[in-house]
Amino acid sequence: MAHDQPLLVVQEALRKCFPVVEEQQNLWQSTLQDCSPLLSSLSNLAEQLQAAQSLRFEDVPALRPFPDLQERLRRKQLEAGDVVLDKLAERLATLLKVRNTINSHVEQVFQAYEQHAAVLDIDTVLRPSVVSPSVADMLEWLQDIDRHYGSSYLKRKYLLSSIHWGDLASIQALPKAWDQISENECQTLVSDVLVSVSFFLEEPGGCAASGDLEHHS
Amino acid sequence: MAPDSGPFPDGQLLKLLPVDPRDRDTQRCRLGPAAFRSLGARLGSPLRISLPAGGCCLCTAWPRRDRVDGFVQLDPQCASPGARVATGRIGMDCLQPVPCPPLRRLEVWPVLRPQAGAPSSAAVLEVVHELLRNRPVSRGHVVTTPPGVPGPVAALHVMGGTPDPEPGGWVTPHTRITLSDKPPPQVEPPGEVTLGGLSETADSLRELLRLPLRYPLALAALGLAVPRGVLLAGPPGVGKTQLVRAVARETGAELLAVSAPALQGSRPGETEENVRRIFQRAQELASRGPSLLFLDEVDALCPRRGGPHRAPESRVVAQVLTLLDGIHRDREFVVVGATNRPDELDPALRRPGRFDREVVIGTPTLKQREAILQVITSKMPISSHIDLGLLAEMTVGYVGADLTALCREAAMCALLKNEKNQDSPKIEETDFLEAFKKIQPSSFRSSTGLMDIKPVGWEQIGGLEDVKLKLKQCVEWPLKFPQEFARMGLTQPKGLLLYGPPGCAKTTLVRALATGCHCSFVSVCGADLFSPFVGDSEKVLSQVFRQARANTPALVFLDEIDSVLGSRSVGTSGCDARERVLSVLLNELDGVGVRTVERRGSKASQQECQEILSRSVMIVVATNRPDVLDDALLRPGRLDKIIYVPPPDQEGRLSILKVCTNNMPVGPDVSLENLAAETCFFSGADLRNLCKEAALFALQENGLEATTVRQEHFTEALKTVKPSLTLKELTFYENLFKKGLSNLEDD
Repeated sequence: MAHDQPLLVVQEALRKCFPVVEEQQNLWQSTLQDCSPLLSSLSNLAEQLQAAQSLRFEDVPALRPFPDLQERLRRKQLEAGDVVLDKLAERLATLLKVRNTINSHVEQVFQAYEQHAAVLDIDTVLRPSVVSPSVADMLEWLQDIDRHYGSSYLKRKYLLSSIHWGDLASIQALPKAWDQISENECQTLVSDVLVSVSFFLEEPGGCAASGDLEHHS
Repeated sequence: MAPDSGPFPDGQLLKLLPVDPRDRDTQRCRLGPAAFRSLGARLGSPLRISLPAGGCCLCTAWPRRDRVDGFVQLDPQCASPGARVATGRIGMDCLQPVPCPPLRRLEVWPVLRPQAGAPSSAAVLEVVHELLRNRPVSRGHVVTTPPGVPGPVAALHVMGGTPDPEPGGWVTPHTRITLSDKPPPQVEPPGEVTLGGLSETADSLRELLRLPLRYPLALAALGLAVPRGVLLAGPPGVGKTQLVRAVARETGAELLAVSAPALQGSRPGETEENVRRIFQRAQELASRGPSLLFLDEVDALCPRRGGPHRAPESRVVAQVLTLLDGIHRDREFVVVGATNRPDELDPALRRPGRFDREVVIGTPTLKQREAILQVITSKMPISSHIDLGLLAEMTVGYVGADLTALCREAAMCALLKNEKNQDSPKIEETDFLEAFKKIQPSSFRSSTGLMDIKPVGWEQIGGLEDVKLKLKQCVEWPLKFPQEFARMGLTQPKGLLLYGPPGCAKTTLVRALATGCHCSFVSVCGADLFSPFVGDSEKVLSQVFRQARANTPALVFLDEIDSVLGSRSVGTSGCDARERVLSVLLNELDGVGVRTVERRGSKASQQECQEILSRSVMIVVATNRPDVLDDALLRPGRLDKIIYVPPPDQEGRLSILKVCTNNMPVGPDVSLENLAAETCFFSGADLRNLCKEAALFALQENGLEATTVRQEHFTEALKTVKPSLTLKELTFYENLFKKGLSNLEDD
């Protein structure tokens, strides 16, 4: 089985990469979940700010003894907002780390494939076995996943960087916009891929390509 | 095609399919295994693909999900500017693997999104990095940002790098990307002709856009501001919006298109604010290059001021006026307004400095329709037998939008007809005729008196040969043989009066006339015209003529005109609605001219005679009481042809009987000749009734199993059916005929 050797190398790389993807996906999801309360508190703050803006303090007799109340209130709210924003920036950094980790792992797999591509026949690459999808499919999925994290991170980062306190209405709409990003992208992409490769991962390093399923379409 | 078949023969054609939605924005190119093998490609290896529609793109090779050979799908995210992916066939030699060494440095020119403002170069670079990560690029190609991705960058021009990305280079995380300081060379967009028949209008718009760019010094020397406003007026669907878009694209001007109703706000002052913002945006665009602000449906924004309860609207109009004047500084962009109700606009808008020029686009004339059809069908696989000229002749009253709908419908017909042969559908003439039945001209929707007539052929009217000939002479010939008419110095008659005793096929003759000549046919009756409101009837009638003029050649038919129009000479009452209707009709028939908004076609003096002749509206009037008609109506130039439709003579009756008994099982003993001889003073309607009665008698006698109508049934019927005409009536008409002639001689 000497000519299967390169294939085994690529499969080994793939086998190492998918668990990383799974782990990073969990991290990604939990980070996203951490973000939602922060975003709603931000939106809440924006609402408070707006309420304070529309209130005419001089018209309320009870508030008259505190002349700089409005200014102080505003400063306090903005400070609170900055704290939340800092926390969000931390989360965003985590997301970036996830993206980079996945990116580097995917790249390693592709490098492994590139090294052996010259000796790998296209039929071998395209042939799935009973338990494992074809190498071509898996590489394609990895590329999809990599791209998915990249664009998802970019969208979220762009959304957060567009925050400024002059535009309270858009801050109030932040949680919705954040959820919208998740809804618009293919949410099940990564989990679907992980399910598809689960048998392949369980298989203990066997020769997947010697499977007897000839794929014809 | 079998998968995993042997080596792919060179020069074999692959079918280019639209890209799979899952592959959008991935820059992938999906190939079958055999193509993979023959190219010697690996997974994800870059391919340069020359597209059949022009241009080329750089993709990464991936196997098709279904592993089928013979098809290509590609996502042209990185393509040469102007490249278009059209479905079709593509040769194997168009796919070419290219080496893509990793790039150390890359220089790009970002194209920013219009709403981005001026982002910092760091922000741009971050987006650029993300966009180009792990992609092959090629010098001179453009990488477009997928629409869902946020950020200030719309597209990237790849300018160069080390090593030179020609034919390709791979962007890695270690590639240093810099923004170029030189814009890419402007590529002239391929000169596509998307407008038919609007060249003159397009020229004047183009001139406005280009003048200040071409001759800035000369204009400065003149010390004049350039005209910068155009008002386009015309009925819906003639291509006003299309025209503006095409001209903007052609001249490379930034187009800011706003629909005026979208600017309306609910709060007081909101609309004005929106208008100001739009003008501000246009000003910003103008600072970058030539730009064009297009206000569609401008009549909604600037209605006529001055009515009661119109203060908010007046404020908006005033705001638009000041902005058009450029109160702060010179306006640097061209404003184009489009409306189909120019008269509703505030008059203050329509002066030089605001809307300097007014361009009226009417419903297309014959030549324009032909040009439009040519443009629309240029991309359609139509059969070579189709005569577009004939099609243009048939589509009277169709505007550009209607013609597009017609062609679409024809294409659908062709598709549905030969489903098995979907690869290369050919659109035949029959498809167009089929579509022609379905598509109604939009300018005639919601109009008064449009008739969906049942087609009647000349041969379905028995007798009256000389009347038919006269009618054809007056109406059909000028339309069909315009050259001959022009040679003889003839002009088309304006109007035609058909009179005669009732039941002698006057209305049917008009129906046959409308069937025979391809022109729009409007029939107006008293019910359409009369209304309880003062002035309404006149308005409706002039509306009818306006619509008819927009859809020339047109035939306006007024049946029973004696009841619709009064006579000033015979009637005595002073001011009657019918008299006013009459005066409107007289004016419409022989007025001074048409209003400017009804102008059609080009103003060029040398026009083909066909265009002129097919531009007329002809009126056909039928009555059985010509004696009460107004004298002014009966003079030449108005109703200049007066045709008497006589009751049928013996031969005429025979042919009428033949037509009537066409669908009737007549026994062998029936002699239609004798019947014709016996039925003196019978009109056509009477003869039809006679046949009907005879058939009913046959049914009555033989029960429902009756098979033939025999002579005795006709004799029986003759006893009950009495002629409706009398000698006295006929002599009255005969004398009138003479009187009518003498009248004309007196004029």
